[in-house]
Amino acid sequence: MNGHHPARAGLAASLTLGLVATLAACSAEAGASSEQSYESWDEVVAAAEGQTVKLWMYGGDEQGNAYVNDVLVLAAAEQGVTLEQVPIADTPDALNRILSEVQAGETDGEVDLVWVNGNNFGTGKEAGAWECGWTDLLPNMALTDPADPLLLDDFGTPVDGCEAPWHKAQFTFVYNSDTVTDVPSTLDELLDWARANPGRFTYPAPPDFTGSVFVREVLYSVSGGYENVPLAYSEEAFEELTPALYDELTDLAPSLWRGGETYPQNSNELNELFANGEVDVTMTYGPATLTELVADGIYPAGTQVLTLDEGTVGNASFLGLASTSGSKAGAMVVANLALSVEQQVAKAEPDVWGQFTVLDLDQLSDEERALFEALPTSPVVPSYDVLSENANPELAAAWVTPIDEAWRAQVLAR
Amino acid sequence: MARSGARAVGTTITALDRQAAGVSPRGSRRWSSIALVAPAVLIALFVVGGGIGFSLVQSLGLLPLVGEASLSLDAYLANGDDLVRGIGLSLAIATASTALSCIIGLTAALVITQGRSTGRLVAGLSAFTIPIPHLVGAASVGLLLSDAGIIPRILGIPGTEWPDIVGGSWWIAVVLEYTWKESAFVALVVAGVLASRVARYDETAALLGASRARRLRHVVIPLARPAVIVSAIIIFVYTLGSYEVAWLLGRPYPEPLPVLAFRLFTSITLTARPEAAAVAVVTTLISLAVVALGMAALRRTPLWK
Repeated sequence: MNGHHPARAGLAASLTLGLVATLAACSAEAGASSEQSYESWDEVVAAAEGQTVKLWMYGGDEQGNAYVNDVLVLAAAEQGVTLEQVPIADTPDALNRILSEVQAGETDGEVDLVWVNGNNFGTGKEAGAWECGWTDLLPNMALTDPADPLLLDDFGTPVDGCEAPWHKAQFTFVYNSDTVTDVPSTLDELLDWARANPGRFTYPAPPDFTGSVFVREVLYSVSGGYENVPLAYSEEAFEELTPALYDELTDLAPSLWRGGETYPQNSNELNELFANGEVDVTMTYGPATLTELVADGIYPAGTQVLTLDEGTVGNASFLGLASTSGSKAGAMVVANLALSVEQQVAKAEPDVWGQFTVLDLDQLSDEERALFEALPTSPVVPSYDVLSENANPELAAAWVTPIDEAWRAQVLAR
Repeated sequence: MARSGARAVGTTITALDRQAAGVSPRGSRRWSSIALVAPAVLIALFVVGGGIGFSLVQSLGLLPLVGEASLSLDAYLANGDDLVRGIGLSLAIATASTALSCIIGLTAALVITQGRSTGRLVAGLSAFTIPIPHLVGAASVGLLLSDAGIIPRILGIPGTEWPDIVGGSWWIAVVLEYTWKESAFVALVVAGVLASRVARYDETAALLGASRARRLRHVVIPLARPAVIVSAIIIFVYTLGSYEVAWLLGRPYPEPLPVLAFRLFTSITLTARPEAAAVAVVTTLISLAVVALGMAALRRTPLWK
């Protein structure tokens, strides 16, 4: 048992060497990176040449994927930036990746841009996931309204130049007018309709994004309007306002799809139920995609948007720049490109993606404005002006997690 | 007469196998064999040990994303109810899948070792099943058996009358998917073991006058037992820790352990990461306990050498 067998010692030595070499390589990579900061847009454009930018975004929307890969990627290539879409199931996947990289001290991470808003943005900002103060450099920021509240605060978190605006969205209920004859006009009436038609309504289980906003809409409704819910989170307000919310949803549950024993796990599952005719109502943050879905026969021909008297929640979504990105200049070029009139018009085209623009039409030239006015109207979806009438503000991000968690405990696990 | 004959064969199997095992390696051969496995062991230790160690440290609150590091069991207690339900559900799914897979797989292995054309068909089907990923299997089960799936459509049954196989409270689709794939695994592993050894003992027992049923009970099943136990351990641990099938075909509540761990891991609450690590550590501990129990059972089988 002398343990000094030459073959073994040699093997052990080479293994140790290998490990040390790997570790050394890792730390060298981390140490070699330089701080990237730019004084002017020209510097950014020069540095961006040849960079590869990975855009992490929700990949469950075919039109969104098609727009990015067929339109935006080509336009970025013209500016010398290789754009790659990384489709993900849910935005926290990207945030988690960045947070892991922040924890590991990575400076040339896998994530460059993220399509983000709301609590993903707020949590990420708190944990240092985003590069901040860079949107002032983007020339196309001048096309937006500097006082637009949707672009200044993202679910109550000040944007502070940590993300560049991309689209506006309006939460929208959608119903099948062939089966729903007595059309509700308020959320309260919609819930009564659900009680009168057991099994024909449901909503995705929070923390799914869409399910989560539905629950917040119900909170507004049971509180007598959004004016009665303070946008900033406090435990007192939560204790005072949410019992009525959970009572309402618990009371509603037996009338839901499958008797409220279970819920669709995400908005895709709800959309499938709607497409299969198993429920009569669905809900979406991207109403613009409806036109295409009806035209393709995926949704029933009677699909209509349900506008509520009290309005629904509206917000903007953004492109966040990861603090661990190694291609920040390239990412800024892409964010600026995404804000250009050409791209915003192309993206607003219902056949392409149908996302509402973040640009302020008053800041545009007549020709540019004409491009937006020439967009075709949809037989299914009213214009953004109609949809966003009485738009409700989003609650601060700090509300979202407590509401979702209490929903899981009190409604789902009942 | 026949009964004692079969028993006698059973005991001689052990004796014969012991002989066949040959002399144990010693001296330099032992060292060189250690050197040969060392790379695999070191890499496994580095990856598995590192992963488990990191989870353990994180679950004890020593590696928070934000805030001060402090040693605490908070992460284990934060989701107490969900964790307990998750353990129960995961154990139930793993037990049902393992038991069904072993019964079906063993039966299939017996059919395969009969060597007739049905045996070849079953062997072919099992071999075809192995390379299909669980994810594809789960998606297919979902497409076929959900409320608006292909089968209810072909049968003309409306979704409301179709049983809740996918996303139902009994997790039937999840267990079905695991059973489909893992029984093929058991069939091939056990058939491989049986094919190499069963013929001569089976013939000997038959010559001694043992009936089919007795040969099955005293010859074939004892021969297959170690392989079945090993397969069962692998299946149990796999199904306990597998995420995608349970997520795709399950329901949002209650959650099996891997689904709970992943939801917490990807939660946007920064403090949820230690909680996810705690669920992962609990899952690992259960798996290790099951492996220990299985190995103990294996050691009690006379053929395990």
